[in-house]
Amino acid sequence: MIQIIDLLPGVVLRCCRDSRFKQGCLSFQFMRRMDPAENHLNALLPSVLFRATENYPDIRSIGWHLDDLYNVSMGPLVRQMGDYQTVGVHARFLDDRFCLPGEKVLPGVLDFLEELLTRPLLEEGCFVPALVDSEKKNLVSFIESELNSKGAYSMGRLLNQMCRGDSYGLSRLGDKKDVAAIEPKQLYDHYQRVLRESPIEIFYVGSASPETIAEYFRTMLGAWHRDPRSLPAQTGFHGAEPGEYGEEMEVSQGKLCLAFTTPVTCYSPEFAAMQVFNCIFGAGMTSKLFLNVREKLSLCYSVFSEYHSSKGILTVGAGIDFDKEQQTRQEIFHQLELCRQGQITEEELLAAKETLTSSLRAVHDNPGAIENYYSSAAIFGSDRTPEQYMEQVQAVTLEDVARVAQSVTYHSGFFLKGVEK
Amino acid sequence: MIRTEYPRLDEVVYRETLSNGLTVQVLPRQGFSRKAVYLTVDFGSVDTRFTLEGKEYDMPPGVAHYLEHKIFEMPDDRDVSAEFAALGAFVNAYTSTDLTSYYFSCTENFPRCLELLLEFVTNLHISEDSVEKERGIIDQEIGMTEDSPGSRIYENLLTGIYVNHPVRIPILGTRESIRDITVQVLTDCHRAFYTPGNMVLSVVGDVEPEEVSRIALAVLGPERRPQGCKQKTWQEPPTAPEREISARMEIAMPMFCLGFKSAPCGKGESMMRKELIADLASRLLCGDTSQMYQRLYEEGIIDSSFGGGFEILGNGAMMVLSGDSDDPRRVREEILAEAERLCREGISQEEFLRMKRSVLGELIRSMDSFDSLCSRLYVYHLCDYDFFQFPGLFETIRPQEVLDFLQEVIREENSCLSVIYPND
Repeated sequence: MIQIIDLLPGVVLRCCRDSRFKQGCLSFQFMRRMDPAENHLNALLPSVLFRATENYPDIRSIGWHLDDLYNVSMGPLVRQMGDYQTVGVHARFLDDRFCLPGEKVLPGVLDFLEELLTRPLLEEGCFVPALVDSEKKNLVSFIESELNSKGAYSMGRLLNQMCRGDSYGLSRLGDKKDVAAIEPKQLYDHYQRVLRESPIEIFYVGSASPETIAEYFRTMLGAWHRDPRSLPAQTGFHGAEPGEYGEEMEVSQGKLCLAFTTPVTCYSPEFAAMQVFNCIFGAGMTSKLFLNVREKLSLCYSVFSEYHSSKGILTVGAGIDFDKEQQTRQEIFHQLELCRQGQITEEELLAAKETLTSSLRAVHDNPGAIENYYSSAAIFGSDRTPEQYMEQVQAVTLEDVARVAQSVTYHSGFFLKGVEK
Repeated sequence: MIRTEYPRLDEVVYRETLSNGLTVQVLPRQGFSRKAVYLTVDFGSVDTRFTLEGKEYDMPPGVAHYLEHKIFEMPDDRDVSAEFAALGAFVNAYTSTDLTSYYFSCTENFPRCLELLLEFVTNLHISEDSVEKERGIIDQEIGMTEDSPGSRIYENLLTGIYVNHPVRIPILGTRESIRDITVQVLTDCHRAFYTPGNMVLSVVGDVEPEEVSRIALAVLGPERRPQGCKQKTWQEPPTAPEREISARMEIAMPMFCLGFKSAPCGKGESMMRKELIADLASRLLCGDTSQMYQRLYEEGIIDSSFGGGFEILGNGAMMVLSGDSDDPRRVREEILAEAERLCREGISQEEFLRMKRSVLGELIRSMDSFDSLCSRLYVYHLCDYDFFQFPGLFETIRPQEVLDFLQEVIREENSCLSVIYPND
C-alpha cells in the first residue's frame, strides 16, 4: 500500500513500507517543464552536485562515504515525462538488518542527500567553474554517444523531427551546443530557482516507517525558502507536419523507424485497450510483427513497437537489409491493417492481456519497479494502482482493440542506410 | 531435497540431483508474486569439440547459439512463446561462452509453465526449411552486432588476448561459419548436451521445492542418458599476443576496452576466492573511489563511462576495463604505473575494510533481483561452488592477496588495448 503524505506546500512524499527487500530505494525529484530554455541546465545540475560538497569536497571522499554506508548506489536522476522533466537524485541502499550490529544505513543516506542538495561546494558564491566545465564536457560526450546505438539514434532522430513544436521532440539531456555554452553562474542561479519554485516528489520504498521518513524531510525542507509554482497541465501531441527522413552512414544494417499517432493517451478511457493493442501488434515475441516480419519472412532479428502513452505516439523499429525497406514497410502496414479489421485471434488477445496483467502483478516484487510505477503515475496525475489497471486490461475486448487500432494514423518515417565503406 | 540455511543472507536453498541427473535448486521467496525459472544447459559457444559415445565431433562456431534459436520450434505449428504468453508468462533464452540458458518468469500457472519449459528445451523439432530460414534471422543478428561498437570492441579484444582459445570467435559465429550448420549438426549437439545430466534447473519465488522436483522427474523421466564430453582446455600462452587492436566506426568519441590476461581460475572455492580478490583488486586499482580514478576523471582522461572488473570465460580469465577516452593509451600507461605504485606502497587497513564493506553491501543488495539470484545459483553450481557461502569466504581474504593479484596480472605483457576510433 502506498501512503501519500503532503509534507509541505508543493512537496509530496509517497512511501511504500515493505520489509521483504534487502535494499531500500529513494527518489527525490524536482519537477520542471520540458523547456528548451532550461532542459540542458536541468540535465547538468545533478552531475555537478555529485562532484563536491562542503564536507565531501571531491568524488573520492563522496565515494568513500557511500562505501562506508555499505555501498549506497546514489546518482543523478534526469527523466523526461511527457511535457515535464524531472531532475534530482536516485538511491538504493542496504536494508539496516544486514548491517553490523549497532550500525544503520538509512540515516546516513538521508543526511548525505541533504548535504548534496543544500551544501554544494561553492567558490565565490557560485558552483566551482572547473567542476562545471568538466561535467559539461562529460554531458556533451554522453549526448554524442547516442550515435553509438544506431537503433536508438534513428528513433531519436525520427521523434525529434515529427515532434518539432512539441516538447516531446526535445532531447531529455538538452542540445549539446546549449550544454557547452552553460556558465557556472547561470547554472547556480538556475539551481536556486529550482530549489525555490519546483514542485517536489519524494518516493521511498523500504522497511522504515513513513512517519520516520516524513519527519526527516519535513525538518530538512522546512528550512528551505520555498515559493512553489505549480506546473502547467500536460498537453497532447502537437507536432510537425508528416514527413519522410533518412540518413546514410557506414553501417552493415539499415534501421527502419516508423511513427504513428493516436488520440488515445494515458489520460484516455481507452488507455488499457491501447496497451493491449500494442502487445498484439508489436511488443514482444508473440506479437504480429515478431511472428511475421521476423519469423515468417526472416526480414530482421529485431522488430518491435512502442507506445509513448503521454503523447499518443506509436513507433515501430526494425533492423533490416538496405534493400528490404519497402517490403518491411508493407508488411508492418499490413499487420496494422489486420488489427484494424479485428483479425485478431482469441489466443492473441488472451496472450496480450495475460502478459500485461502478469507484469503488473509483479510490480510489487521489486523496489525499483515500485518506485518507477508509482512515481511515474503520480507525475502524470494518476492514482491508478496496478490492481485497478489489471482490471481494466482484463475488461478489454477484441472490438476495443480493433477500435483503438483504427485510431492509429501513420505520421512519419526514418531510414538509416549504409554507404560504401 | 537438501535444505541449507544462510542466516547472514536471510536465505534458504533446497537442492537435489534427480535420478536422471538433473540438478534442481530452489530458493523460496514467500509473499512474492513473480517466479523466475532458468533451465541451463552446460553447453556454450566454446564447446564446439566433443566426443559422444566414442565418436569425435568438431562443430562450426556459432552452433550453440543457432541451436538456442531452433529450440523454440515446436511440432504441429505450436508456438512456444504464445503458449507461455497465454499463461501470462514471458519466455526467452541466451547463449554465452560457457552455457545456454532458457528462462521464463510468471506470476500464475507456475506448474504448467515449468512443464512447458522442460518439454520444449529437451525436444528438438527442426526441418531443413526451418534451419535455412533461421540463417536469415541470425545473419541480421550478426549485422546488428557488427554495427554495435560495444560488441566489436570486445570481440576484437578477445582476439588480442587469446591465441588458441575458442572465445576468440564470436558467440554468434560468423556469417561464414553459420552456413555450415545443418539439421544433422544441430541434432548431434542436442543429443550430446540437452540431457538432464548436463542441465541445471534453478527456481526463485513462492513455490514448493518438492513440487519442482516432482514436475521435472515427471516430464524428463527417471532415466539417465549418455552425454557429450567436451574439450575443456586449450593451449594458451600466459601473455597476450597483441598489445593493441584498433578499428574505425561511426561513433562520436574513441572507445576503449583494455584487457589483462590472467591464469585460469580453476573451480570450486579457489575460483570464488580468486574472483573476490580480483574484484577488490579492480576497485583498489581503478574503482570510482580509487586515487587513479579521481585523478584521471578530474583531468578529463576518463568519464563516468569508465568501469570494469574480472571476467571468467571458458577456462580463461581476464580483467577488463572499458570506457570512452580521447587518450586510451594514456589510460593503459596510468593503470600499469598505478598497479606498480600500489604493490610498492601497499594498502591501508582502513581502506581495505571500507572496500570489503562496499563489496559485501553490493552483493547483498543485488539479491533483490530474482534473475541475478538464479544466475548465481547455476553459474556457480557449474563451477562447483555454493555462491551463498561467500560472506564467510570473503572475511578470510587478506590485503596481500589483492596486491599479489595486481602484481601477477596487471602487467604490460598481459595486456591488450582494443580501441574504436570515430570515422574521419
